[in-house]
Amino acid sequence: MLVVTDRLTKRYGGFTALDGCSLGVAGGEVFGLLGPNGAGKTTLVRLIMGYLRPTSGTARVAGFDSVADSLALRGEVAYLPGEARLFRRMTGHETLDFFARLRATCRRSDAVAVAGRLGLDLGRQVARMSTGMRQKLALSAVLATEAAVVILDEPTANLDPTARAEVLDLVREANAVGRTVIFSSHVLSEVEAICGRVAIMRAGRLVHEQSIRDVRRGHVIRARLAGRFEGVPDALAGHVRVVADSAAAGEERLVLEAADSLAPLLGWLATLPLAEVEVEPIGLAAVYDRFHRGAVE
Amino acid sequence: MMASEPGSLGVQRERRVEAPGASTGTRGGAPLGRRGDAWILNGAVWRQAWGDQRLLWLALAALWGAFPWIYIWLQSQVPMGDFQMLLRLIPEDWQKLSGVKLTEVATHAGRVALAFVDPVVVLGATVWGVTRGSDTVAGPLERGTMEMVLAAPVRRWAVYASHAAATVTGAAALCGVLLAGIWTAVAFGPWSAELGPARFVPAVGNVFGLMVCMAGLAALCSAAGSHRSRAIGILCGFYVVSLLAKLVGRLSERLEWVGWLSVFNAYEPQRLVSGQPDAWWLLLGYDAVLLGIGLAAFVAGGIVFARRDLPAPL
Repeated sequence: MLVVTDRLTKRYGGFTALDGCSLGVAGGEVFGLLGPNGAGKTTLVRLIMGYLRPTSGTARVAGFDSVADSLALRGEVAYLPGEARLFRRMTGHETLDFFARLRATCRRSDAVAVAGRLGLDLGRQVARMSTGMRQKLALSAVLATEAAVVILDEPTANLDPTARAEVLDLVREANAVGRTVIFSSHVLSEVEAICGRVAIMRAGRLVHEQSIRDVRRGHVIRARLAGRFEGVPDALAGHVRVVADSAAAGEERLVLEAADSLAPLLGWLATLPLAEVEVEPIGLAAVYDRFHRGAVE
Repeated sequence: MMASEPGSLGVQRERRVEAPGASTGTRGGAPLGRRGDAWILNGAVWRQAWGDQRLLWLALAALWGAFPWIYIWLQSQVPMGDFQMLLRLIPEDWQKLSGVKLTEVATHAGRVALAFVDPVVVLGATVWGVTRGSDTVAGPLERGTMEMVLAAPVRRWAVYASHAAATVTGAAALCGVLLAGIWTAVAFGPWSAELGPARFVPAVGNVFGLMVCMAGLAALCSAAGSHRSRAIGILCGFYVVSLLAKLVGRLSERLEWVGWLSVFNAYEPQRLVSGQPDAWWLLLGYDAVLLGIGLAAFVAGGIVFARRDLPAPL
């Protein structure tokens, strides 16, 4: 694993911002970090970056500890904060010069090329740029580095749809050359589109981890039965679970979730007294909603 | 493994991707993060800090360059006899506030020396020290630029020291401008026949000590907090309390000890214009206190900054 956290915890007095978070991100993976505001995503990232000292537990990137080897760790990571703030008096060109001087593995020419792809006017002073333009400028500086790990905290916030698509393409390209990307976002469709695996956080805890392939393989089955539902047969218990079951006026409404292929279930479904049935892929939104009801995109 | 980067950025180049878990200390033979791993100073941060303080420096340089000329010209408009008469009108208790005997003030050197305790110089020195010192950590933290800088492999110490060094060299350069102003105004001004400019060098050294002291204390407050305005507020309070302590110590024999609590006890430029070697020894004592406090505060601020949590910008 390239990025590893082990029971990482951060407390501020009586408030626990991150609680025993153990996570592993493999090299070359695009890893999605999901959760509403205050779930602990930014705290987790700031602990990995060494901005915060853990109350307990450890975080490592490429074997470097976030506290003891913070400098070496940051040499391996390119990080875009949630709200990237830049020097207001500098122009776009000066900003890219500055970051290229700070980091040996950041090429100014690459940063200019990324800015060009994002349609950014580098001659303009940062103070005169819109929030979206500043985001593009920060992205140009971050994505032009050759760091092994790229951590992007809500990179597409404030961007227009064209720039969003371009950013997702840049992330795919970074991943295609073997870089590991940690992508934190509220936009589930983006995460589903580019991530290979996601983790969902709630109230400082890592509550769920799943590969996007599994998310796509799973299905939701909504059925209205004309008769009584007798339960899931033991043989299928590992394939399907009942999410909701309500009976009224002689009919029963069911919501089932199939974690894997539908094939083993089809024969059993055909034996049920189905009045109506609707089958659709689960999707990330449904998984997310399981942990954060009402807080979906 | 080796991977080829697509020509999306106009270049095809090979890039080494380390095996997971492997230690990646070098890349392409170059030390990792070689531009950012300096312990003491970082060139990019140094230039950026100078860019931030450029306008304030230019404004103060213009003020301090012109002030000695204007001040000495205004002083020269009052004949010495009239000035001595004015001094005699000051109540005896108040005369203690000057820090030197009035007979010493009523000389050409004494009258020029009053320029160093004029608000233009004292407040200018304080404004530089407090505004630049407070911008060492809390300013960039508040503006959110600190986390962008520290996302790169740059030591916190190097970021801090680069800001601090820019502040101190800025102060030194401003003192150079003040000295040049005093020197030329004395050498070529209305009292050129009565005075030599070299006697004012120790007084300028005392101004530098005050600037470093204020900057160091402001940097310490800045390193411990997240709001620049709070650091400025604390230093303004410190300034007022120090000034009052000095006044109380001077005016009351019973409370003379209170004066020793004031940092301004070591800021007595009017005592340093005798032109004798003892002025340099006196300066050494004063600046040992001021520079000692300032540098100790700078170091303490660096230690605090290196160990603290950096909150997300508001």
